Amino acid sequence: MTKSWYSDLPQYYQRQIKAAGLDEAGLTRRRLLKGMAATAGVAMAGLSSRPSQAASQMTYMCWEGYNDPRIIDPFRKANDVEIAFDLIVDSPGGFAKLQAGASREVDLVSSDMPWITRLGPAGLAQELNPADYADVYATFYDQFKPPFEPLLNEGKTIGVATRWGWVGPCVNTDLTKPEIWKSYDPVFDDANKGKICVMDWGDWPILPMALHAGIDPYQELDQNALEETRKVLRAMFKNTRTLVADLTQAQKGLLDGSLLGCIGAGSYLTSAVRKQGHKNIIAVVPEPKNGLKQGIIWVEATAILKDTDQPELAQKLLKHVVSKESGHVLSLLDSTCNVVTNKAVEALYTPEERDILQADYMWTAWDNSQMHRIAPNIDDMLAIWQEELAAAQ
Amino acid sequence: MADEVPRSWRDPDLLIKALPTVLLQTTCFLAPLVMTFLLTFQRSRNFQLQWSWDLWTWTDVFSKPHYWTILGHTIFMAAATVAICLIIAFPIAYGLATRFKAWENEIKVLITFAFITDATLKIYGWALFLDKNGMANYALSSIGLPPEMVAFLYTDWATLLGMVYSLSAFAIFTLYLSISNIDRSLILAAYDAGAGKFRAHWEVTLPLCKPGIWAGSVLIFLLSVGAFLEPKVLGGGKSPMSAELIRQTFETRVNWPLGAALTLVLMVVSVFIVLLFSRLIGLKRAGLAA
Repeated sequence: MTKSWYSDLPQYYQRQIKAAGLDEAGLTRRRLLKGMAATAGVAMAGLSSRPSQAASQMTYMCWEGYNDPRIIDPFRKANDVEIAFDLIVDSPGGFAKLQAGASREVDLVSSDMPWITRLGPAGLAQELNPADYADVYATFYDQFKPPFEPLLNEGKTIGVATRWGWVGPCVNTDLTKPEIWKSYDPVFDDANKGKICVMDWGDWPILPMALHAGIDPYQELDQNALEETRKVLRAMFKNTRTLVADLTQAQKGLLDGSLLGCIGAGSYLTSAVRKQGHKNIIAVVPEPKNGLKQGIIWVEATAILKDTDQPELAQKLLKHVVSKESGHVLSLLDSTCNVVTNKAVEALYTPEERDILQADYMWTAWDNSQMHRIAPNIDDMLAIWQEELAAAQ
Repeated sequence: MADEVPRSWRDPDLLIKALPTVLLQTTCFLAPLVMTFLLTFQRSRNFQLQWSWDLWTWTDVFSKPHYWTILGHTIFMAAATVAICLIIAFPIAYGLATRFKAWENEIKVLITFAFITDATLKIYGWALFLDKNGMANYALSSIGLPPEMVAFLYTDWATLLGMVYSLSAFAIFTLYLSISNIDRSLILAAYDAGAGKFRAHWEVTLPLCKPGIWAGSVLIFLLSVGAFLEPKVLGGGKSPMSAELIRQTFETRVNWPLGAALTLVLMVVSVFIVLLFSRLIGLKRAGLAA
């Protein structure tokens, strides 16, 4: 007979532990932490509500929107599970948190694809068997079906793509013609001095500028290529009116005309404004320059953490997040609207919703874009960004 | 006069009384600080921490001038904020302590409300107010002035405005306490000795306010060097200050050793400046006494 962690306790307590279901999985650190989190949650609620009666608990690290009650509540009820959310505000921050130890508490994570892929070499994500997700992939656009190279680590699938969009100039068509933005040249035009907005979102504004300079940032770069990137960033800062990290600031600037164009964002920025009726705000993708595609396709993906103690539930939740019904909700949130990887969702869109999402433009954007993945020299480029920003003061 | 009790660190009673504070400081301040320091001797590669135990990060910090440019800009902005806050706060605090006794509590409550209102709300409020199409320009153009007269949003001036607005309450309240504690008979004595209002103010009131000026200055300076919302929202992010540089290094670059080193540099420089000024004021006092 094996000795359990509670067998030395009096019989009464042993019965209580068995009744609570703690004997089967053992009192792991994860379970203890989750229990503490749940207790703290109840305490925060003013001690008025009773502890959760759900059979199990999960923690989901995700962008805001993935936690929408219209997505989560049906899953919660169907599986009798309580889901705690760890909302991320930026992908590197979420990755850093997981790396710092949060991976022991989190079961599922939805973030930007390169950061999901990085979970593989970091030893944090569970490798997925595409055959287990055949039902999910059956309704996906072909472009996202396995083997989907950007989500592979040493040939193993790390996550499932969920939502996507494109990065390109965001403009107000009442103030500027979209044809002018067939390249990034207007960013450097003296006539536009003090009218350009740059998103302060890490690598997002750097990568399009590198592409404009004729450099493929997704390849290993030598010193010359990095110097070219430096020059183009320096030129960009000369015309920059503001760097913003907050979507609403950029949206407001585009709407009121104080900003002519916004760099480093794309459909993620424009769609929510379009949903409010401002169809004059669009995200375009410049045309290829010297054979180099100038747009960037961003993809969000979902992965299961290696240390999860709920592997089956995590898999179920992952499948639920990319389902037709969840995909429809996810693509038309109040904060941002973006197309999803599940083709079946398209059937649910009204003409108005298609217009909001620029759905008729999405494959043009795709054709003229690079797929966003890990840029090998991103740290060097971020260091250059910091140096040039300091020099521009 | 009360007898002074000589205290020694060998006094068991004192040691027991100090123990909770010592434990709290050790676990909550010193230990994280030591860990931060140790982190600076590691490296970050491919967004992952590597335990290398070398001076690579410190070499990077001391060889890249832009870190120091940003630090210099931060110190300048913090010093300017302190100066402006004191200039604005002094008349308010003086008036509060001497002239507006009847409205003293109401004014204090109003200042406190403005002070404790969420910083994000206040800063975005200023952004909307100063915007090209904001309230300030609307009001000015409605009285016949040219459009877009207020055009300093996304400049260092806007950053400074936000920092002064957010932090001036520290100066108002510390100065108010100092002025309230001044013995009025000393000022009357100065008048009796033939001093005019300005001279009495300069030679009696102002020197006696030094503790308040110093306390307010230290609080504002240390909070200013850590400001990140104002440079980002009102300054337009084009003139980053050290706090934003540190955030970017930790979060965007996921370079924790470098972020830790930059944090320590900012802490050391800030404490050095505070100690330097403290010493200078002390020397001046000694000189005056002599």
